[in-house]
Amino acid sequence: MHVDPIGEISHDPLARIGLLMLAIITLMAIFAPLLSSYSPHDYTGEIFSPPGMDHLLGTDSMGQDIWVRLLYGARTSLVVAGAVALLSSSLSVLVGATAALAGGLYERFCMRIVDAMISLPTIIVMILVAAYLRPSLPLLILLISAFTWPGGARIVRSQVLSLKERMHINAARTFGAGWRHIVSTHIIPDLSPIISALMMQDARRAVFMEAGLAFLGVSDPMVISWGKMMHQALAFTYLDVWQWWLVPTGLALSATLIGISFLSCSLETAMNPRLKKDHARDNVRYG
Amino acid sequence: MNSAKAECGILEQKREHSFWKILGKNLFPASLQSYLIALGAIFSLNFILPRLMPGDPLHAIYGDEALVAMTDEMEAHLIRQFSLDKSWWDQMLAYIMGLLQGDLGFSYYYREQVSQVIMGALPWTLLLAGLALVIATAIGIILGIESGFCRGSSLDRGLVASLMFLGGFPDFFIGILLLLIFAVSLDVLPLSGAASPYAGYEGLAYIFDVLKHLALPLASMVLVQLGGIFLLTRNTMVTLLGESFILTARAKGCPESCIKYSHAGRNSLLPVTTATGMHIPHLITGALFIEIVFSYPGIGSLLNTAIAARDYPLIQGILLIVTVTVLSANFLVDLLYMRLDPRVRYAR
Amino acid sequence: MLSIRDLKVSFGKTQILSGVDLDLECGECLALVGESGAGKTTLGLSIMGLAKGSSTGEISFQEKNLLALSEDELRQLRGREMAMVFQNVEDALDPVQRIQDQIAEAITVHRSISTKNAMDMALKHLLSVGLNEEKARLYPHQLSGGERQRVLISMALVNDPDLLILDEPTASLDALTKADIIRLFRSAILGRICIVITHDISLAAALADRMAVLYAGRIAEMGRAEDLIRDPRHPYTRGLIRSYPDMTTTKDLQGIPGRLAHGLSGCPFHERCTQRIDICSKIMPPQIEKDGRLIACHRGGIVPLLEIISLSHAFEANYVLRDVNLTLYEGETLALVGESGSGKSTLSKAIIGLHEPGRGQIILEGSRVIKRDAAFYSRVQMIFQNPKESVSHRMNVLDAVLEPLQVQRKGSHEARLRRAKEVLDLVELPIDDDFLKKYPHQLSGGEVQRVAIARALSLGPKLLIADEPTSALDPSVQAKILKLLMNLQEKMGLSILFVTHDIALARKVSDRMAVMHKGRIVEEGATNEILIHPQHPYTRRLVDCAFGRYGMENAEIEMMVEPGPVALEKYC
Repeated sequence: MHVDPIGEISHDPLARIGLLMLAIITLMAIFAPLLSSYSPHDYTGEIFSPPGMDHLLGTDSMGQDIWVRLLYGARTSLVVAGAVALLSSSLSVLVGATAALAGGLYERFCMRIVDAMISLPTIIVMILVAAYLRPSLPLLILLISAFTWPGGARIVRSQVLSLKERMHINAARTFGAGWRHIVSTHIIPDLSPIISALMMQDARRAVFMEAGLAFLGVSDPMVISWGKMMHQALAFTYLDVWQWWLVPTGLALSATLIGISFLSCSLETAMNPRLKKDHARDNVRYG
Repeated sequence: MNSAKAECGILEQKREHSFWKILGKNLFPASLQSYLIALGAIFSLNFILPRLMPGDPLHAIYGDEALVAMTDEMEAHLIRQFSLDKSWWDQMLAYIMGLLQGDLGFSYYYREQVSQVIMGALPWTLLLAGLALVIATAIGIILGIESGFCRGSSLDRGLVASLMFLGGFPDFFIGILLLLIFAVSLDVLPLSGAASPYAGYEGLAYIFDVLKHLALPLASMVLVQLGGIFLLTRNTMVTLLGESFILTARAKGCPESCIKYSHAGRNSLLPVTTATGMHIPHLITGALFIEIVFSYPGIGSLLNTAIAARDYPLIQGILLIVTVTVLSANFLVDLLYMRLDPRVRYAR
Repeated sequence: MLSIRDLKVSFGKTQILSGVDLDLECGECLALVGESGAGKTTLGLSIMGLAKGSSTGEISFQEKNLLALSEDELRQLRGREMAMVFQNVEDALDPVQRIQDQIAEAITVHRSISTKNAMDMALKHLLSVGLNEEKARLYPHQLSGGERQRVLISMALVNDPDLLILDEPTASLDALTKADIIRLFRSAILGRICIVITHDISLAAALADRMAVLYAGRIAEMGRAEDLIRDPRHPYTRGLIRSYPDMTTTKDLQGIPGRLAHGLSGCPFHERCTQRIDICSKIMPPQIEKDGRLIACHRGGIVPLLEIISLSHAFEANYVLRDVNLTLYEGETLALVGESGSGKSTLSKAIIGLHEPGRGQIILEGSRVIKRDAAFYSRVQMIFQNPKESVSHRMNVLDAVLEPLQVQRKGSHEARLRRAKEVLDLVELPIDDDFLKKYPHQLSGGEVQRVAIARALSLGPKLLIADEPTSALDPSVQAKILKLLMNLQEKMGLSILFVTHDIALARKVSDRMAVMHKGRIVEEGATNEILIHPQHPYTRRLVDCAFGRYGMENAEIEMMVEPGPVALEKYC
């Protein structure tokens, strides 16, 4: 089907909101040093000082400025999101497409592995592995990608399977087109809407997982993470610090996740023609 | 297609296969294979990981901190138990034998068998997660059906927007928010735990107490799960309402409620069931986070403690148990799907 | 009992039905025929109240205006008083419910009756459509296409509705199953008002008394089904029937030029119609009833192009043509067959004016032909048997084609050149300068005949008289020339009077046939009918010979055949 993602996004209000939210967060992340005069690692003030002129969101238990840590945390989340999205979707396409095209034992083998990995509770496995391996950020990215690609592989495989049987591909084969031509001219372009939706989904899961793992205490000690901030803040709820330490961090995390959700939901609507809002249909007599 | 068969004049009548025959034929090949592979992977992971680490296995299994705390006696006991002084092959045998007997190792932090520790916490998690699944699914499906049926109406638009918004929040954050609002600020519901300790409630009073403690964690989980189920049901409904059999039902004169529920609704259960199955791992992990936030004494809190204390056997044991739980739940969902979809049950 | 007045349905910006009027009595079955996009299904859905879009007009059924009823009132009628059997697509039945349950549901939504009774009734109905008890407990995907169609029928009939609408009921079925289902339908539609929506004309003929042809949301023609098929009077109906062969079709298939377009002003068919006039593009034609046929055409249906009344011609005291009466309609081919000496060539020459007939009238496009002037020749043209003789060997291609234009002094030199190239292109000849300079002796017989046809077309005639146009050509070339003529007929609405002695050839190119014997027309009618059931003994003899059945002696035939139409009655 003919999909126009840019057109869809510009028309869907939800998508526009999502895009806006992500844009703001990205800008905040990029311009972090400019938006605050402190460095995130410095102990700049009194511990637990409430928000004020010097410290927009106050300071945490070690006297570090919360606002600047929030901004740098955005970098972590976005970097993880982008890297995992790329890595994971590439793997998904690789495995899914080759499985669908090659078929036979190879396909069955791949799909068993994929199904097995999907049914595992990935966070716990990652906790275990991370506990042994004391992860750094790149390793975390690799780990997260390793557990998000199976979901996408399944989707890619079913899409390529149905594409393989489409008439225009059969027609191309009747003029003697080889697989390379078919893949580059017919399959990859048809797959791009799926791949972009997949990347959004993977990005979302990546942000969630990174924050979740950090919340549980599994993260790169060198890196500032929103999850870790929330984990630390949770220990001090009795001090009312949650007002400016816990909640804004959580909100920032949620905003990132919601932004990605909105965007990916409108992409999903774009790809499924029956979900598209059909104005003429609204004049229906029933229902 | 069908015409070819009709042309031959032979219409084979497939009798209703017994449930178990279908089970065997359909399930064993594909999904059960995957589950067994997954299980095998976890077993292997648990076995191999510690042994890949530098240093002796005991060191790796228990980590620095634990060894410091351990007495020599305990150390010797453990070495014997795990055959750590023997070859890898013997160790693996000992491991497998131990698993078969339900022996998951020894938690140094709790100074008990891992299996005991876990069994103390598992029921609470199952209660929380199970209830959350049932409630979220029920509400999600009903809301999804209603919303999908009047697509484009203000109800639909409002629900979609708000539930998508809600679904964007990570579970633990919703939990935190609810905790802060209801427990800390308003002090309406308890702050932590599953039941008030030392209160000595019996019978009905006990149940009420448990429910009171369950309220916030359950609410957070339901709120987060709701969005996904709702959206899926709604989208499936919208797609289904364009199908021909809906038109047939209308032409029969079926009232709206009948079309909504017994035709479109029942058919939308199918993809929702599949999706729920795929969603169960996330459900369990969500439960873990919520438990940590609310200090609810389930597997999640246990895990948190275990990580902090670097109690590897406990972590591994939790992983195993959770995996088995998730896989069994998936299996049950597969069975349920088969029951719901006659096309799978009575394949031509 | 069912009366539709000026029903208009629009969906968004498209007008799907633009004014439909219908009346149906109890026990009548109407077939609604048309191509996709015509609005047939929308009409069916509108009656049921299930159509999307906005509707105006009136549909009265059982003394109620269906369009004015509320959704709830309509719901009560649906499935009980009026029922629709949908096209049997994959998902026409709910995949997760058993067949018997779905039929029982149709009963319980309308009557308060216990589930057990409903199931029993459902089972009885399923048995009556030919399914057995075992099948009743199955799910839809376990049944074959024909069985599913029976279920859909049973579901519609279970409450004994007064109105039954069938939408493409045999669309996805194979021939044998289709036959079974048609038998089932024949008994199902008794005593009800039935509307069969289909694009399959043979199905319409099998089930319906009356037929209505829908084009772009309006009824183009309506009348008795058999009459419409045998003798279509609206250009669209004729085109439709020409495109759908049945087992008696003899002429090759032809299409209709152009495409269906909605929202045109005036007659919706006018852009594809080959006999359109000015008013057709401006005003919607009213539906006029004539002889039991309803036609929506400003020109009253297919117009008679040429009418010959009591034409007689004598040549040296011998009657070569005796009292000939013939009508040739627009856009059709009439084959004039007979032996040599029967007078067919004389007739064709008499029409074009190469002989002046003694008595009788020739009427062209409604006005009597007194003398053959330039206007006449620009409407009627002729092509001859031997192309190399009918084109002067001293003229090259361009000269030959330009000749008529020069003689009639039409247009400037450039305009004539353009026209020449246009018609050469129409007959599929090259138009480059090299070709235009060629002489007949440098071309093949087929090419020269094409040049002759191009020459004849240059004045833009509506009637082409073809006198044995291919008998001097090789058979393979003959085929191409004939195909060309058929294409021209389809594209331009050219009428052809095809004179030939070869009945097999006439069979493939003509709609109607006139048999001439000794200067008289002994039989005339639709080609396929004449060939299957020849009435006149002479015709019978000709047809037998054509089929290779050489029975009677020629002398015997001569004795049987007496001149004069009065005498013919003895043999009919």
